Amino acid sequence: MPGKTAATAEIQPEAAVVPAAVPDRSYIWDKIHSLTGIVPIGAFLLEHFWSNSYALVSVDRYNQQSFDLQTIPWRVPVEALLIWIPLLYHGFYGIFIWSKGKANLSRYSYGANWMYVMQRWTGLIAFVFIGWHVYVERFITQGRSNYFDVVTTLSNPLYLTFYVIGILAVSFHFGNGLWQFSNKWGLAVGARAQRKAAWVAGAIGVLFAVVGLLIVCSFVFHWQPFQFYAQ
Amino acid sequence: MAEAKTILVRIKRQAGPRETPRWEEFSVRWRPNMNVIACLIDIAENPVTSDGQKTTPVSYEANCLEEVCGACAMVINGRSRQACSALVDHLEQPIRLEPMTKFPLVRDLVVDRSRMFNDAKRMRCWVPIDGTYAIGPGPRIAPERQEVAYALSRCIFCGNCLEVCPKVNEHSDFVGAAIVNQVRLFNMHPTGAMHAHERLRAVRGPGGIQECDNAQNCVKACPKGIPLTESNNDVNRQALLDSIFGWIFH
Ligand code: HEM
Ligand code: SF4
Ligand code: FES
Repeated sequence: MPGKTAATAEIQPEAAVVPAAVPDRSYIWDKIHSLTGIVPIGAFLLEHFWSNSYALVSVDRYNQQSFDLQTIPWRVPVEALLIWIPLLYHGFYGIFIWSKGKANLSRYSYGANWMYVMQRWTGLIAFVFIGWHVYVERFITQGRSNYFDVVTTLSNPLYLTFYVIGILAVSFHFGNGLWQFSNKWGLAVGARAQRKAAWVAGAIGVLFAVVGLLIVCSFVFHWQPFQFYAQ
Repeated sequence: MAEAKTILVRIKRQAGPRETPRWEEFSVRWRPNMNVIACLIDIAENPVTSDGQKTTPVSYEANCLEEVCGACAMVINGRSRQACSALVDHLEQPIRLEPMTKFPLVRDLVVDRSRMFNDAKRMRCWVPIDGTYAIGPGPRIAPERQEVAYALSRCIFCGNCLEVCPKVNEHSDFVGAAIVNQVRLFNMHPTGAMHAHERLRAVRGPGGIQECDNAQNCVKACPKGIPLTESNNDVNRQALLDSIFGWIFH
């Protein structure tokens, strides 16, 4: 019997015969949460940064790419199945996981404990940012957002700041999430494997942050370093 | 003669699970190489606070005094550790002693850690060999394997890994790193491995391995230097493979 653990809990008499625990649903729900962080959400993040990188080529290429994505067949069901439902599940279940923990960073300020706390706060920032981002770029523009809609949004310094924070939070959350994943799915077991996994995950997180910020720069400064591709 | 050097010890006291806690300060005569248990022995001999009030002796647990029994875990200057290996000369004063917070309190510094043993039973952390006839010696274990298993087997059930874990608290029934490590240890044993499936099923049950979120304070807090993160990750891998393929073989 899983006893309550607070100092105020009643002392349980030690049981002589304890039945073996049996798997419950929380194992599978936790695994699904973990997996949705990588696919489809992480995979979509990759696709999203890729598509937005067309801004680095030219306005036309960007608008073409947007239009292509806006006109895929079965757009709404595909988006719902591959993005909205997994993201909502991951977000709300993430908050549920958060509620089951009691952070103790002030007492035990070790590196991984910092990551534990940061993973939660960056997840929350990501949730709020993504909600707003979708409202502005999807619903206000009725699913027809183009280059100039983004330029308009980013011309407001407040919104620009929110974008930068959002991109940094999401990149951290995804990079650290990859590291989490390597632990939770037993991909990196030994100490050396753990170290390598941490490096790879960290590098991917930094890469996302850098590319994300470059995309923002591209919109703000009309900077198109790959324009010669289109000529 | 110079005045004898003294140590200040502040202790969080609580007469019983339902009493209100209070702090008391004691001053103890310094001697070379003193540990926290030595202070508690002195206080038990002469339970008078530093401002001269007579009080009850402070309850605490300790047996081996060499970090092998696990009994003396408590929160010392805000961090969970063994009192017998906490040397006074290495601690900031006044030394603050508090009971562990993740287990039901019995009295003063004494907590009840039987949930760890109950959880070890729920997770089937033993090798069943009892029967009606002798089953003979088990298989031999390669030295490389012994070396890994030995490190895991040093657990003293002190509970420090539970105390420092953000996922062990009243909102979650996570069994903690010690129990997960036991699952790995007994699955490594050639005879124990015959029941690996049962353990891996149990460790996917309530409070099982899925609750670990890798804050990894456990591995820092373990007085025996057990590679607890490695154990968690290994059991994660075993449990996952068992959940996918286990039904084919059982
Ligand atoms: C851009 C969107 C997001 C991506 C790419 C993402 C990705 C990930 C990944 C890869 C993981 C690791 C999975 C694992 O535990 O093995 C993870 C975990 C987690 N995510 Fe997200 N996530 C996103 C949004 C969110 C949101 C909106 C929340 C809501 C607050 C959130 C909260 C969490 C929490 C609490 C964890 C568990 C961390 C732990 O177990 O220590 N995530 N996420
Ligand atoms: S794993 Fe380490 S910290 Fe946890 S109970 Fe065993 S010896 Fe103590
Ligand atoms: S008295 Fe045995 S571990 Fe401290």
